[in-house]
Amino acid sequence: MINMFVNIGLAHFLVLSLILYLTGLFGVLISRNMLRTVMSLFIMSVSAVINFAAFGYYCDKSMENANMISVFILILTVIQTIIALVILYKIYQANENLDAEKIKDKES
Amino acid sequence: MVTNLIYFYFLFFATICCALGVIFAPVMYLSALALFLFICFSGFIYLYLNSVYLFVFQFILCGVFLSSYIFLLIKKIGKINQQLRLAPVSKIIVSSVFLALFGLLFVLYFTQEIDNSLYSFFNTVAEKSFVSVNFKHYLYPLSLVGVFVLVSASVLRVFLDTSQNVQQPKESGESKL
Repeated sequence: MINMFVNIGLAHFLVLSLILYLTGLFGVLISRNMLRTVMSLFIMSVSAVINFAAFGYYCDKSMENANMISVFILILTVIQTIIALVILYKIYQANENLDAEKIKDKES
Repeated sequence: MVTNLIYFYFLFFATICCALGVIFAPVMYLSALALFLFICFSGFIYLYLNSVYLFVFQFILCGVFLSSYIFLLIKKIGKINQQLRLAPVSKIIVSSVFLALFGLLFVLYFTQEIDNSLYSFFNTVAEKSFVSVNFKHYLYPLSLVGVFVLVSASVLRVFLDTSQNVQQPKESGESKL
């Protein structure tokens, strides 16, 4: 039982990745502020990158393939976050608010 | 050995705490600050996994540019001290149950499959792939991707600005009628 916590391996990083993914998903589900929703999406993407990096370290000896995929995911994540932030800014200019429920009420 | 262990568990809990801080922070700037710390700590996890390139990429792209962009955005819209509220309690409970079920399913799958198919699948891929990518050769195209990102973001901004300017005269015309 103690060995499970002492010998750090792939499983530890997968568990970390799972917890981060669930935390991000929880943030997406419960937050009303849209900016925080975007941040939660970013956390989910980073958890995927940690997953790939861990598999690369423990399974791929050269590490280059895993690094390539991880950097690719990271760049895509930054692109999606920046585009989402630009759209959020425009939503704010139109509604003077970033609260999803208030905007929904205003539209209905 | 012990230092390594302490370092790993420190990073483990620090990353999770920062992620929780992003979601449960009461004020907007604390949430953004927690995101910046999350980026830093997850970068150190990459360093722990010997992925120096990833650490540098994440720190420059996310830590420097994305975090400062978020801070500037919050400051520009004047919501730096805005109180953040969560969804109603019923929604939080339903989300928690959903996430617990999702986590349980994942753990069951993980314990059954990691020793059999999933782990061996990744091992086979790693053993059979004779072509390994030289990362340094891809730095130039990746920097091009970065330039394309900036260009596309500015084009999108101009496009959205123009579309809003077109909409405003229409609305004012309708109100006169």
